[in-house]
Amino acid sequence: MTSASHETLTIFAQSWGLLYLALLALGVLLYTFWPNNRARFDRAKNSIMNDETGPWA
Amino acid sequence: MTVAGRHDPFGIHGIIVLLTGLGCAFCLIRDYYTPEPGADRLSSYYDEPIKAGILLALIWALIGMFFGDWVAWLLAYPQMTFDADWSSFGRMRPIHTTGVIFGFGGNALIATSFHVMQRTCRTRLADQLTPWFVLVGYNLFCIIAVTGYLMGVTQSKEYAEPEWYADIWLVVVWVAYFALYLRTLARRREPHIYVANWYYLAFILVVAMLHIVNNLALPASLARAKSYSLFSGVQDAMVQWWYGHNAVAFFLTAGFLGMLYYYLPKRAGRPIYSYRMSIVGFWGITFFYVWVGSHHLHYTALPQWVQTLGMTFSVMLLIPSWIAAANALLTLNGAWHKVREDATLRFMMVAAVFYGLSTFEGSFLAIRPVNSLSHYTDWTIAHVHAGTLGWNSMIIFGAIYYLVPQLWKRPHMHSPALVEFHFWSAIAGTFIYVFAMWNSGITQGLMWRAYNQSGTLAYSFLDSVMAMHPYYIARAFGGLLFLIGTMVGVYNVWRTIQAAPAHLTQTEQPALPGSPQAAPLVGS
Amino acid sequence: MFGTHYKLERYSIGLVVAIIVVASIGGLIEIAPLFTIHETVEKAPHMRVYTPLELAGRNIYIREGCYACHSQMIRTLSDEVERYGPYSLAVESQYDHPMLWGSKRTGPDLSRVGGKYSDKWHSEHLNNPRSVVPQSIMPAYAFLKRTELRTVDLSMDLAALKRLGVPYTDAMIKNASDDAKGQTDPDGSWADGVRARYGEATNVRAFDGDPGTVTEMDALVAYLQVLGHLTDVAHASEPGVSK
Repeated sequence: MTSASHETLTIFAQSWGLLYLALLALGVLLYTFWPNNRARFDRAKNSIMNDETGPWA
Repeated sequence: MTVAGRHDPFGIHGIIVLLTGLGCAFCLIRDYYTPEPGADRLSSYYDEPIKAGILLALIWALIGMFFGDWVAWLLAYPQMTFDADWSSFGRMRPIHTTGVIFGFGGNALIATSFHVMQRTCRTRLADQLTPWFVLVGYNLFCIIAVTGYLMGVTQSKEYAEPEWYADIWLVVVWVAYFALYLRTLARRREPHIYVANWYYLAFILVVAMLHIVNNLALPASLARAKSYSLFSGVQDAMVQWWYGHNAVAFFLTAGFLGMLYYYLPKRAGRPIYSYRMSIVGFWGITFFYVWVGSHHLHYTALPQWVQTLGMTFSVMLLIPSWIAAANALLTLNGAWHKVREDATLRFMMVAAVFYGLSTFEGSFLAIRPVNSLSHYTDWTIAHVHAGTLGWNSMIIFGAIYYLVPQLWKRPHMHSPALVEFHFWSAIAGTFIYVFAMWNSGITQGLMWRAYNQSGTLAYSFLDSVMAMHPYYIARAFGGLLFLIGTMVGVYNVWRTIQAAPAHLTQTEQPALPGSPQAAPLVGS
Repeated sequence: MFGTHYKLERYSIGLVVAIIVVASIGGLIEIAPLFTIHETVEKAPHMRVYTPLELAGRNIYIREGCYACHSQMIRTLSDEVERYGPYSLAVESQYDHPMLWGSKRTGPDLSRVGGKYSDKWHSEHLNNPRSVVPQSIMPAYAFLKRTELRTVDLSMDLAALKRLGVPYTDAMIKNASDDAKGQTDPDGSWADGVRARYGEATNVRAFDGDPGTVTEMDALVAYLQVLGHLTDVAHASEPGVSK
């Protein structure tokens, strides 16, 4: 690898890398705060509180 | 193996493997003639492997911490050992690290993951035999590793010392573990996978990835324990610390956060403060952590841009780390009276506090100018032990004190007073240890870089060694307190198991017909 | 029924894939470029390889966990350069499978310890550190002098390293065992072979003071004495400047 490609890498990281990072963060946040997911998360959050009986009882 | 390695420690390991294999075969054959289990087996959780895993974790805790404290005393009094090759500091130190991280931590992770995945999925483990294969196989790996160190078998990669044959075996075990996890998830009767499982899954997956890449090596011969790393010099250093720091990330953090996100809400009797925060934290940790390994190589021959990347991401990592710690502590809001009364919950609370503290310290130490002072000194040791004693051990002990009465169907631990004693000796030990190492680390760092007025170095290296003596005694004493706490904990667990089962006092437990017979391999 | 189950499966597999993708990016970006790094950093045309005896010593250094307390990486900080010598260059550890940079200095850095002390000093120091440095906290390695070095396997070690890219010649591999003995016996018949294969500058001495048997002490001292002397690029006037 020459020093030119080191530079290329830096430029790449500062443009596409940054975009990727932003998109990833956006994706995670969207998933987390998507209104339709709210009920599912609330259910999951509370579901562990009574799991000893299992589904059999 | 036994025959091929006659002239090598390899041969002794062959014998150990042979004996384990024979023992397993015996157990399987013995069980072959027991009657076919009824369908009702499927309507109960499979708790026997969890019990075995907890006991194994405690045994490894005693081994690992004993050797840790012994080598700590050796640094203060180097003559406190035998004139034999196996008993020198260099060979016993990896027994400490492997014993506590992989023996104690690993078994605790496997046991609690079996517990959490069954409960959160509301289903039985996907297989009767695989959990035992994972447990026995994993412990065989640990035994091979630890006995190897005594005989001088090591590839010198920090936290990845075991040689090539043990590494290959661990991959086999790990694939079985991963498959078991996925199969159990596939059986779940809950639409959503609870977030603790995400953390456990990240732990299993990423550790596999790290382990395979870091341990790529060419054995000098198939009949010898010695191998040579595929990488050399600067590449090897980067791979090693990519592994080393991510072992912290995914072995000692991700899996343990899984533990925290399940056992803390359970014990506090309140659901996690914010489920959404736990999701954001998860992806943050998974993404940021993998970049930070290069902060172990500041000012070295590693190219500067890699060092800068490592530093930047280390600082950013503080955000998801503190999200996790805050989430845990906010869960306790409204339950602080329980924290005051219940030592088990207090273990978990302290774990979350130390998690927050040591991640802050970690990000701080990763900043290059700070690292120039702290690197190579005992400050690093202070940081590591704030994490492992304060965070990892505390959450494990919290989980164990929660699990033991529940799994063995006892109303409570044998002696709540001894749990209190364990808590306070562990806390005192951790504080003494960490403060001693902070002092010694900073003193060391300052002495090494001190110049006198004529512009020459003020201290010889030996001066700094002599200055460490009191701190090394304090550290070994702190470690001893922690070890004593653990011994008391093990005694308490043992007495709890010995006590008569409390059939009548249980209200929450479902009837589990025939669960004692469900153990095919270990008659616990 | 089948449909829901299939969806659930996809959910957990999706989680697995997402974890792998997210977690591998950082490692790939940081590690992958390093495999071409030797083309941009320093070159060391006359760098020599470890002799079989030094390699055996290096393996003892690994076996005894010396790396846990001694680093072999001098950082680019003025006090370190003053204390230990010119800062370490990437090329100096290019043949080190694995590297032994270390992460802790309970004892001093050793990357340039070669030639600083006499063989006798090392031998006595390893035997009982406190006989030479009374305040030392280093473990005693008295058993090294008592243990004969196993030399018959050394050809295998050299061959393995050659496959990984270390420039050992076939003659070096073939004579590895004899060269290990020859390097500790300057007046013996094998000594000339060592010098011919590894260079005139190679240390050929009875490192543990006894030219008779080849002990593990011989090997470890031979290794310590060559540390920092495989190449002298770091001592050039402007170290670290890429050419």
